[in-house]
Amino acid sequence: MAEILGAEVDEEGYLLKVSDWTADIAQAMSEEDGIELSPEHWEVINFLQEYYEEYEFAPAVRVLTKAIAKKLGNDKGNSRYLYSLFPYGPAKQGCRFAGLPKPTGCV
Amino acid sequence: MSLISIFLIFFFYVSALIFISGLSYKLIQYRRTPAPLKIPIAPSALDKKGVLLRYFREIFLFASLFKANKWTWLFGWSFHLALVLLFFRHLVYFWPGEVPLILYKTESLKYAAYPLIFGLLGLLARRVFVDRIRYISAPSDYLMLLVFIFIALTGMMMTFANYHPNILMVKNFASGLITFKWSELPGEIIFVFHILPVFCIIAIFPLSKLLHAPGVFFAPTFNQVDNARKKRHLSDWASKKEDNLEINLESKNLKDK
Amino acid sequence: MSTDNQIKLPTYVETPSIRKDSMAGDGPFKASVEIQNKLGFPGEKVENWQQVAINKMAETKSKYKSVQVFLDSCMKCGACTDKCHYFLGTADPKNMPVARQDLFRSVYRRHFTFAGKYFPRLVGAKDFDEDMLNDWYNYFHQCSQCRRCAVFCPSGIDTAEISMAAREVMNVIGVGQKYTNQILGKVKKIGNNLGMPEPALKDTLMDLEEEIKEDTGVDVKLPIDIKNSEILMVSPSADFFAEPHIDGLIGYAKVFHESGVSWTLSSYASEAANFGMFIGNYDVMREGALRIRKAALDLNVKRVIIGECGHAWRVAYSFWNTLSGIGTGAEDEYAMRLQNQLDSQYPQPQHMIEFTYDLIKNNKLTFEKSNNDHRVVTFHDSCNVARGSNMGDIENGQFILPREVIKAACNNFIDMPKNTIKSSTFCCGGGAGLLTDDLIDLRIKGAKPRMHALRKSEQESGVNTLAAICAICKSQFSKVLPNYDFDPYMVVSVHQLVSDAIVLSESLKQKD
Repeated sequence: MAEILGAEVDEEGYLLKVSDWTADIAQAMSEEDGIELSPEHWEVINFLQEYYEEYEFAPAVRVLTKAIAKKLGNDKGNSRYLYSLFPYGPAKQGCRFAGLPKPTGCV
Repeated sequence: MSLISIFLIFFFYVSALIFISGLSYKLIQYRRTPAPLKIPIAPSALDKKGVLLRYFREIFLFASLFKANKWTWLFGWSFHLALVLLFFRHLVYFWPGEVPLILYKTESLKYAAYPLIFGLLGLLARRVFVDRIRYISAPSDYLMLLVFIFIALTGMMMTFANYHPNILMVKNFASGLITFKWSELPGEIIFVFHILPVFCIIAIFPLSKLLHAPGVFFAPTFNQVDNARKKRHLSDWASKKEDNLEINLESKNLKDK
Repeated sequence: MSTDNQIKLPTYVETPSIRKDSMAGDGPFKASVEIQNKLGFPGEKVENWQQVAINKMAETKSKYKSVQVFLDSCMKCGACTDKCHYFLGTADPKNMPVARQDLFRSVYRRHFTFAGKYFPRLVGAKDFDEDMLNDWYNYFHQCSQCRRCAVFCPSGIDTAEISMAAREVMNVIGVGQKYTNQILGKVKKIGNNLGMPEPALKDTLMDLEEEIKEDTGVDVKLPIDIKNSEILMVSPSADFFAEPHIDGLIGYAKVFHESGVSWTLSSYASEAANFGMFIGNYDVMREGALRIRKAALDLNVKRVIIGECGHAWRVAYSFWNTLSGIGTGAEDEYAMRLQNQLDSQYPQPQHMIEFTYDLIKNNKLTFEKSNNDHRVVTFHDSCNVARGSNMGDIENGQFILPREVIKAACNNFIDMPKNTIKSSTFCCGGGAGLLTDDLIDLRIKGAKPRMHALRKSEQESGVNTLAAICAICKSQFSKVLPNYDFDPYMVVSVHQLVSDAIVLSESLKQKD
């Protein structure tokens, strides 16, 4: 099994255990993807984690965009903006950085 | 009777036996195998009449092939049509006893040999020159075409070139196979070269891709009516799964409206 | 529209010369022991896998007429060789439908036919060895079971049937695909492909209700688990989660609202898609269908309606009556128990498009079509709807109804080139379990024929919106459009177009 900073990840780079997550892991993952984590990235990652803690599931993209709109302003509450932060998709790449399981299905 | 006549007569019956038993086996197998799900393919027929119409278009016009590729259609369709016409042309030889008048009027059908050979050569050329079709061809696919071409050429030589066999002996030999009143082959060797591969084709029919002929009638994609919502379609093995009529209901908080 | 400096494209994708092994490889990620076991499959490749596989092939061909007949009746005419989008996009000859079937057929011939047993080289019969298994896994996961090849086959051979049978054989020997089987496990446990638990689902729906209220001022509801509703709505779970799907869900809600008919979603049956079909497993597929049956019985609904989901609609339309009795015209006790409850005046199940279309025909909906005037819309016929179902019970209804719904909501509609739509439609490139990141290269290449047709329509007619009625198509296009220099946001649900143009009668009253 592959690892990142000592934490086990699956074939696609998602943490096997949510509890293994650390900010350093998010940092390391983003560096691998060639992304520098900005405060805006962290807003998204934090929200994903908060939501997950409550629902044991990642928020729908629409729920995420609205939450970000509240936090960062309406001009940033849209999926285009989120995609500019996470080119591989706010749900998939965002969840990976946040240590959450990958959303599956027809998404 | 000559040894070669005896051999050919014997070979014919072996071929016929393989053909009949093999094909029967296959037809029974196809018939008995259930089709558990409705899988008609577009453009689907919404009723039985539509299914018949679809088969008319597929069997007589090769409609799907026409949509797919005009060259393959042209070669394939002319080959098959010519084959049918030539089958009728040959009935006169096999017909035992008094031959119905209509069969004597099939003389001009002999010209179907030209579209036959045209189609076969076209199909062979595609198989050789189109890289995609060359890739999917096994030796048997070439062999089958070559055997048909050989049959066609020997037939044409006997009909259109100066290699006519003794027609009376041909007739006696062929109809004798049907009536079990066996007689000697005509002396011309070309006749042997013509019918021996024909007997081979008869024999391998149920063992080869020639099964596409009966197979097309059993394809659920073609023969099913697209009415799954209106009529419950259930195969035997699938219905056995329903022996337990109860559904285990989970306790669930449902609100009334 | 055409000007001289535009690039002229042919109306069809040119057929490439074959490039052997251009897509050779080990295939997508394999399912873990845990994933396999959840579905009752062996966790790892069993020791005597060849024998188990041969036995399974024997069983499958004795249970499915399609498999038995199709294995025999291919004459290798080559009609299908240039019809598969994966072949057109990759040039790998094993992606030609007949060559894909031949992976299965060559083993069948070797073990089940006289010619293959005694003259294997002559007829191309092959042993089931490791290399063959690897090819099976790789290339049967490069087939989206879209059935385009079957439209052109003179024998009516449907490669999807062979592809499903092959995946079933592989699962039985313990070689399963991660993406599909993991999702099937989630449906079994939670009820939808996402694995979205009930609280998250309910929260999302409430969020959407708020959004609609903000946008329109009208209390449009997204009810869930409401007993004795008229309609049970089953939509793909992507509609709850992904973009642009979610705007389609809002569209359904607005249409239901305007119709005045009571409806509900179900948290137990929160998934329309049925991946059981992808792996050719009758029991898994049936289990998925039974969830809907149970929800329909529990909620005591009169009608069942399916959202925009291609494979779901094929399974619902063609298989549900068989699998679970959701349909009409049954004479057996099992199915009648449900069918007596359902309202036989309506087709069961029904597609959301059919529902909306009926309302439009009966002048029950009002549209402000100019809301969509910034769009020039074209429609992508999703493969499973186009070739494996019907709508409206009229000939070609599955092509007519969605277009009529679009035209009711939009002023500008243009079809893509004729040989790329309707029954000849090209798959989006992500169907049947291939919508996974580990197959992204294949997905991009497989989308090529559709992208090509879209480009032509863009250049000739200014098309800027691609409407679809399948969750997979929408996700796949959103992902691959940028690779072809298109805007990923040009993909919309048909019911998003409806949603954007529909006039809610209550909002009119409010204005007055």
